[in-house]
Amino acid sequence: MPAANLKNLVRRHAELGIILIAVLLIFAFSVSSGGVWANFYNISTIVQVTATLGLMTLGVALVIATGEIDISVGSTFGIASLVYLWLSLRIDPAFAMLAAVAIGILIGWFNGMLVTKTGTPSLIVTLGSLMIFRGLAIALTSGFAFSIPYKARNGLSYVILGGGEIFGLNTAIIWLVLALIVLTMMLKYMRWGNRLLATGGSSESALSRGVRTDRVKLSAFVLCGALAAFGGVLEAGKLGSADGSMGRLMELQAIAACVLGGCLLAGGRISLAGALVGTFVLSSIQSYLVVMGVRPQWFILLLGIIVVLAAWGDRLLRQWALSR
Amino acid sequence: MTAQHPLIQVNNLDLFFGQFRALNNVSVDFKSGELVGLVGDNGAGKTTLIRVLCGIHAPTRGEVYFDGQRVVEFHPKLAIDQGIETIQQSVGLCDNLSIARNFYLGREPVKRILGIPFLDFRKMRDISARVIREFGLRENVSPDDEVERLSGGERQSVKIGRAVEFKNRVVIMDEPTNHLSVREREHVNELALQLRSQGLLVIYITHDIFQVHKLADRIVIMENGEKIADASTDSMTAEELEEVIRQGGRVVEKREKK
Amino acid sequence: MLRSLALSNVFRLLEKAPSFGAVIGVTVMLIAFTLVDFSGWWTKQTISNVVHFTSLLAILAMGQALVILSKEIDLSVGAVYGLTGISFIYLQPILGVPGSVIGSLAIAMLCGWVQGFAVVKGKLPSMIVTLGGLFAFRGIIYVLTGGSVHSFPVEAQNHWLTQLLGGEFMGIKGAIIWMLLVLLILSALLWTTRFGNRLLATGGNADSALSRGIRTDRVKIAAFILCACLAGFSGILTLADEPQTHVTIGELLELDAIAAAVIGGCLLTGGRGSLVGAVLGALILVSFRYELIALGAPSSWYISFVGALLIASVIFNQWLARGGGLWLIQGK
Repeated sequence: MPAANLKNLVRRHAELGIILIAVLLIFAFSVSSGGVWANFYNISTIVQVTATLGLMTLGVALVIATGEIDISVGSTFGIASLVYLWLSLRIDPAFAMLAAVAIGILIGWFNGMLVTKTGTPSLIVTLGSLMIFRGLAIALTSGFAFSIPYKARNGLSYVILGGGEIFGLNTAIIWLVLALIVLTMMLKYMRWGNRLLATGGSSESALSRGVRTDRVKLSAFVLCGALAAFGGVLEAGKLGSADGSMGRLMELQAIAACVLGGCLLAGGRISLAGALVGTFVLSSIQSYLVVMGVRPQWFILLLGIIVVLAAWGDRLLRQWALSR
Repeated sequence: MTAQHPLIQVNNLDLFFGQFRALNNVSVDFKSGELVGLVGDNGAGKTTLIRVLCGIHAPTRGEVYFDGQRVVEFHPKLAIDQGIETIQQSVGLCDNLSIARNFYLGREPVKRILGIPFLDFRKMRDISARVIREFGLRENVSPDDEVERLSGGERQSVKIGRAVEFKNRVVIMDEPTNHLSVREREHVNELALQLRSQGLLVIYITHDIFQVHKLADRIVIMENGEKIADASTDSMTAEELEEVIRQGGRVVEKREKK
Repeated sequence: MLRSLALSNVFRLLEKAPSFGAVIGVTVMLIAFTLVDFSGWWTKQTISNVVHFTSLLAILAMGQALVILSKEIDLSVGAVYGLTGISFIYLQPILGVPGSVIGSLAIAMLCGWVQGFAVVKGKLPSMIVTLGGLFAFRGIIYVLTGGSVHSFPVEAQNHWLTQLLGGEFMGIKGAIIWMLLVLLILSALLWTTRFGNRLLATGGNADSALSRGIRTDRVKIAAFILCACLAGFSGILTLADEPQTHVTIGELLELDAIAAAVIGGCLLTGGRGSLVGAVLGALILVSFRYELIALGAPSSWYISFVGALLIASVIFNQWLARGGGLWLIQGK
């Protein structure tokens, strides 16, 4: 029976909801903007702009999968971009990137250890790190921005890490696709992925089957920190400059994108592809508003309504898929 | 014996959780002044059935009648208002509240000061203290102690004392003798009989068919969400009923008292 | 031996109180400030600023505490604070001062109700709903403030109600009196009424509360409405004192409110917490901000400090709640 098969499909693939929305939106936007919105240049800009947010979103999705949350990713992003820029003036950008990612790993490890060893809710721990590292970022730059002079913006390392383009697309998008493929494979085909989802689904059951839920959660936080840091590196590479406010409010967009993409905040079920489509949808809406001449103040209001409606719609869809 | 209409009537009840069928075409009656044993293995649907009766779950299909009236809205508040008290296994106490506050949760007594209803702490403390003493809680346990600090048996005693204090028309007990010592178990069983003789309907859920056979007027056996037996304790022995559970799947006709 | 018995009883009483950690924190903080910067800290200017802004934050924190007690969270309080304050200014020419107070509070309550409804009826996580609320209400602020400048005319500033809300009595800004009033009323509501008992039960164990017939849905919605109302009230108090409508009003205030409530002893697991603790938490946050300013430290230190304090105090409060204090008194 077709309805039952459809329900099965929706049940197994959390991203179907957001893909449906994305398709509808693309259609609606193209039609109502008379082709202004739906051209290659515009869409490729959207995609490139969201590449770094996408990396952050992938990391957040992994943490959400374990039933926790990480709202410090914006601060990690910011600190990493500062460290990368400052170091790449002095050493090869490839090493600067490694240092920045190392910092991301450290922050992730800090978060993960506090959550698993003290039993403190992750919302609070990552709220604390959000503040600690944001303050640090602002203090390091003393409120000013610093940038790389144009003549230094070449060299293979720099270009690969967001500073240049391949086939007309900023290199960040290549990294995003790479990350998506690798992480999806880890999630679906490796033991780690199974244990990650089990920990989020029911950490007691997972523990009782011998899963080291502490280590699993720690690994999710560490990966999340690393991805956020890497995103910060790419963004700094693309812009060539950074200030203390880099990454601010991005964590909220990342969470919204995850929920839009079908990730259950309670853990146990996520879709990496869905989260990325969610990121794309959010950026598209913003771009559409710009194209249509709507004042930017309306965007954030719409974002709020969309987040709630999407979460609700996803819930309804899941309820329908689970019903008889 | 004059026939009364049943206090609770369940007709063709189905309950689905998503695609999982928890209750399958269950029909059963309960009368006032009767002690009914509800037995069956784990997952049989006993707890699920009484959760429908006490308003926690609404049925997917079928009807429930209380005192002749069809129940259209399912909420625990409505069930309690109708006079249904429950002792449940996994829910019933809030760890962060004191014994007194848990005792009176949902029906807190108030004292009006300048027209504003404040909790009547003295009444809450005095009455809950008296009741818990009756149930043998240790001397140094005070009604202001947080329930979290109590042992399993003490928590059970609080739940039982509460149900007995606020009894009205129906008392549903889900495995009430869990965590209790032998003497305490006898006490609970005496209470169940006492409540019945006071004209209440008592529904007693347990695994122990032999124990409940001595107390009950009737035994209802469930398996896999279905009712598979409904017999008065006069008409079938405990061994016979246990045989039914063990063999499973056989539907036994309802037999009246001889 | 008698002395240690009395001491241990006092300790037992104190450590049962969720706000114990915050009490220790405030004590330590005041001692530290006195030692480090006596002349900078204990000035009339610093103290009166601290008291005023503590009161404003404390009202927000108490509202957040109620929501956290019900085992939810409200990330939108900063935006509601701003929106209500702005509405107060904007509605004044139409409705007059008393009317605009009522009108803007009504808007705040509507914000709370909408979010509460979405959480309970839509069965959505409060983190997501109030995140959406944060965006939506802040978006409304942007739309309202973009462009036109609204002023608060002098007659309105001198109105008796405005003075009552934002003015001074004998050199003390009115906000602290309002805050103490709110603390008194909310404490009575939480600990001595039926609603309070049911709120604590809902947060402590919603399934058990439901099984006893508590309408947990209504309790949670009420908590959200109260929280938004208090956030709005704080906004009105702020603007009654200084009527400027800048677009960033209340930004990031929700983080402060959550931090204050949590430092004050509210556990995110629900059902446990303290309103006095939330006030003390607000005191700690505001005091540190002002002391850092007085010492000439860059403002970024404040954010980092709050983050570290937040984590430390939650770990400490959890340790206390699990009986850590008893372990200390009774020995290993």
